[in-house]
Amino acid sequence: MINEIRNKAKELLEKKRVECVIGYERATDGLTARPAFIYDPSEVDRLIFDETCVHNLSRFLIDKKHKATAIVAKPCDSRGINLLLNESQLKRENLFIIGVVCSGVKKVRFNQIEDSLQNKCQYCPQHVPSVYDFLVGEPVTETASRNYAEVTAIEDMTSADRKLFWAEHFDRCIRCYGCRQVCMGCYCYECFVDELDPLWAGIRIASSENRMWNTMRAFHLAGRCISCGECERVCPVNIPLMLLNRKLEKDTVHLFDFEPGINAETTPPFATFKKGEDLGISK
Amino acid sequence: MARIGVFVCHCGTNIAGTVDVTKVVEVIKKLPMVVLATDSKYTCSEPGQASIREAIIENNLNRVVIASCSPRMHEATFRRTVASTGLNPYLLEIANIREQCSWVHSDDKEVATAKAIEIIKMAVSKVIRHEPLFPTQVEITKRALIIGGGITGIQAALDIANAGYEVVVVEREPSIGGRMSQLDKTFPTLDCSACILTPKMVDLGQHPKIKLMTYAEVKKVKGFVGNFEAEILQKARKVDHLKCTGCGTCWQKCPQKILSQFDLGLGKRTAIYIPFAQAVPPKPVIDVSICRYIKYLNWVATGQEGKKPPECRICEKLCPTGAITWDQEEELITEKFGAVVVATGYQTYDHSHYQEYGGGAYPDVISGLQLERLMSASGPTGGEVIRPSDGAHPKTVAFVCCVGSRDQQKGRPYCSKVCCMYTAKHAIMLREHDPEIQCYIFYIDVRTGGKDFEEFYLRAIDEAGVIYIKGRPSKIYRDGKKLKILGEDALIGRPVEIAADLVVLATGMEPSIGADELARILNASYDTYNFMVEAHPKLRPVETQTDGVFVAGACVGPRDIPECVAHGGAAAAKVSALFSQDTLTTDPLIAVVNQARCIGCLLCVAICPFKAISYEVTRDKRLIAVVNESLCKGCGLCMASCRPKAVDLRGFTNQQILDEVNSLWL
Amino acid sequence: MALDYEPKIVGFLCNWCSYAGADLAGTSRTTYPANVRIIRVPCSGRVDPLFVVKAFQLGADGVLISGCHVGDCHYNEGNFHTRRRFVLLRPFLDYLGTEKERFRLEWVSASEGKKFSQLVSEFTETLKRIGPRKT
Repeated sequence: MINEIRNKAKELLEKKRVECVIGYERATDGLTARPAFIYDPSEVDRLIFDETCVHNLSRFLIDKKHKATAIVAKPCDSRGINLLLNESQLKRENLFIIGVVCSGVKKVRFNQIEDSLQNKCQYCPQHVPSVYDFLVGEPVTETASRNYAEVTAIEDMTSADRKLFWAEHFDRCIRCYGCRQVCMGCYCYECFVDELDPLWAGIRIASSENRMWNTMRAFHLAGRCISCGECERVCPVNIPLMLLNRKLEKDTVHLFDFEPGINAETTPPFATFKKGEDLGISK
Repeated sequence: MARIGVFVCHCGTNIAGTVDVTKVVEVIKKLPMVVLATDSKYTCSEPGQASIREAIIENNLNRVVIASCSPRMHEATFRRTVASTGLNPYLLEIANIREQCSWVHSDDKEVATAKAIEIIKMAVSKVIRHEPLFPTQVEITKRALIIGGGITGIQAALDIANAGYEVVVVEREPSIGGRMSQLDKTFPTLDCSACILTPKMVDLGQHPKIKLMTYAEVKKVKGFVGNFEAEILQKARKVDHLKCTGCGTCWQKCPQKILSQFDLGLGKRTAIYIPFAQAVPPKPVIDVSICRYIKYLNWVATGQEGKKPPECRICEKLCPTGAITWDQEEELITEKFGAVVVATGYQTYDHSHYQEYGGGAYPDVISGLQLERLMSASGPTGGEVIRPSDGAHPKTVAFVCCVGSRDQQKGRPYCSKVCCMYTAKHAIMLREHDPEIQCYIFYIDVRTGGKDFEEFYLRAIDEAGVIYIKGRPSKIYRDGKKLKILGEDALIGRPVEIAADLVVLATGMEPSIGADELARILNASYDTYNFMVEAHPKLRPVETQTDGVFVAGACVGPRDIPECVAHGGAAAAKVSALFSQDTLTTDPLIAVVNQARCIGCLLCVAICPFKAISYEVTRDKRLIAVVNESLCKGCGLCMASCRPKAVDLRGFTNQQILDEVNSLWL
Repeated sequence: MALDYEPKIVGFLCNWCSYAGADLAGTSRTTYPANVRIIRVPCSGRVDPLFVVKAFQLGADGVLISGCHVGDCHYNEGNFHTRRRFVLLRPFLDYLGTEKERFRLEWVSASEGKKFSQLVSEFTETLKRIGPRKT
């Protein structure tokens, strides 16, 4: 598999079809992966692909909107690319997507690759990327259906228990904004939380402001989050952020019949409506 | 630095009876940036307004809060008061302490007073952020586009043209005249329809300010009020109207015939034709779908397969001016307009859906409009009312009302308004044609509510001997040469059976085909039945929510000729009012984009109901949203969907609403 | 459960229908509890979810959004979008511990003054029953 990726990358760079190939390479710890930017065809051997390639590389495309770029994309990353295309943040003609058939990436803790898959892979319904120009790996028919067991577990708690659950997590938030920085859906030049005019959330690190931040970031990603799980992975205080995003994804799928990231030519659920839709609100 | 003046109104005892105004003034005086807080008995009165004016000037105020009745009452009044001092009228905020405070909390004065203070605090925090706003001026193209050349469109066109403005009328059929040209006589006066219509048609055709485009359709409309650009498709007539004199030789000699659409299938017309004798323009078009020579040309062009059609060309050979032009192509013409009037009228309900009445199957079951064609002297039978099946003269005629109206099962629950009248008219006229005819009318209710209409209905009963039977027939079937109608007389509670020679179904009105597509082209609203939707059903009957697009006549809802003429005139008056201005003033309470923050996700572009936001590319290749100030209505949908908060709404900015929320209970 | 507290309700009312309806409640001299503070917006579609979250954060016990009936929006479509946002936001806030009874979307037309006053009374009752948001 990796040879196909390397050869394709070499071909694209040599023919000057792209200026840069974004992929994965071995990190300095010798075990995990890190993002790689290959500009020279002679360096394509740096590229790797294995079960440590957890990062969502699509966010690096945003700065390279006007340059021809190739990218190695797992299914979750490809959904991110579709989202960015849909929101005019990328130009399709400048992209060459090397799609990879993925069976999940593994958790890494303290220099050991664990046996279990990342949380996000456990509920990911896709093996084949949604969009690609060149596919590496044998395509399989998708049989998995969406399931939101971990979300329903929270929904089934009592209201008081839920309050405590989230208070405990939001209290630990240090507002490092790591979740925002790593998310490919968060690309605003000026995030609402950094704005002073108006001041939506204060800079105070306290439970109520933390709640506000996490609630609104998740809501800004409603219908857009493609469940790459990066936010949860990078959170230094281990807040289960995916529980927020997945709840909104579940409701978006059920209420609006909309799956984020599957199609680049689509109308986002908040930009449209169906006249007769019954959403349980009185007429 | 804001210098705010707060004026608390007593409104007699309406406010002061519940709210302790003195206490309110005391508390408000102490708020930061409030330079003056005072009260008065009736702020909206002349002396009240004068004292506000004086206070603004004396205290050098630059923001004004008036705590009084609802802004929906007097915001405009107080804006004028503020403007008269030279201060920008948008630096005003109204605090509603009457409808939403003193009047609803009259049972607890303390609570009402506390709430009034909070409401005023909200208004104070909002007004600090108000900025001076200036309406912009937009130029107007003083040309009107009228879509539809029936009586409504004709009336509107003539009125606008007589007011001195240029008009273009676009009509889909080869001639103007609409449904009225198909009618024989009109109720309640029994005027000959063609006699009253044709002079207006001729006036329109000859008016120096009206350009008539028949056999044409509007395909696309861009722009906004005062500045529309329309693409009109002129279909190929295959006849050069500049050469044609309308002598009629061609259509008299044309050998190809087809059932006439104008005569609703009761007669025939030729391939080269004018739809009726008094057509305007009185010059023919060639129906390329049946013309023999066109078929021949197609046969040649597609490889000469199959049997060779005749190379007819009789019209061309006989035409004295050589007007037949086989190579004429359809043309897309772009024109600029300032206003559009939609007058596309109606068609009658297709009675073949009523299989229980033999609609579409029995030739002697006809619609009301078909009867008009039979009665018409210029119709397919020269004015003789005969049975389509065997040409015999009917002696017993039964009418069924509400066919395609008031019928939930057929998807037409509404009443078509004119059918009771035209059925009575038909019955009266049949008696005039033949004194031996007996008419029966099956009705649910008789609705004859216009001027002289009730008398007309009584005339049908008293003079024409019409028998009205209350009850909707369940079935009509053929029995030999007769048609049997099974119904019920609900007033006596007995079943009724009538054997008729001819059955006339009073079919309802529905909008013309393509009305919904046209509404989409114009970005105007239409309802489930494809009728156009007015801006307000009571107070704005000829306008739509889309500025500059007006609607008139039967395309809005079922109505009769006098109403349509009034409607056309009303639309013309609106258009003339629009054109009487030199420029258009736009409302400044609109959205504005902070280009530095905009990320070009274009969610606002998709969500705007008025298509007022579009996008452009900056010099550093960023995609940003841009607001068209003339189209923006200030609804704020764009801002609620903007994630980085790049779009803001003047007068209701994010900061202001946040300040209002912040000011509560703090 | 603190039964003697006064719930604080922030109401975002659309200018064309709901605000007029609230005015009508006043003109008809109906009475309702003084717990609601009304903020006028041009359309219910203007209400950003951020305002709702902010209102709760600042101490509101309940938030009400009120607009024209579906299909009657003065701006044609605004309330369709309000509905979509609301129907996603409300369960989400409930999921995070703000009970769904605290956040309501209601359609009040300009002629429904009585409905508005009943709505405020009912909402205040419910909030009294479930207690203040910050316990």
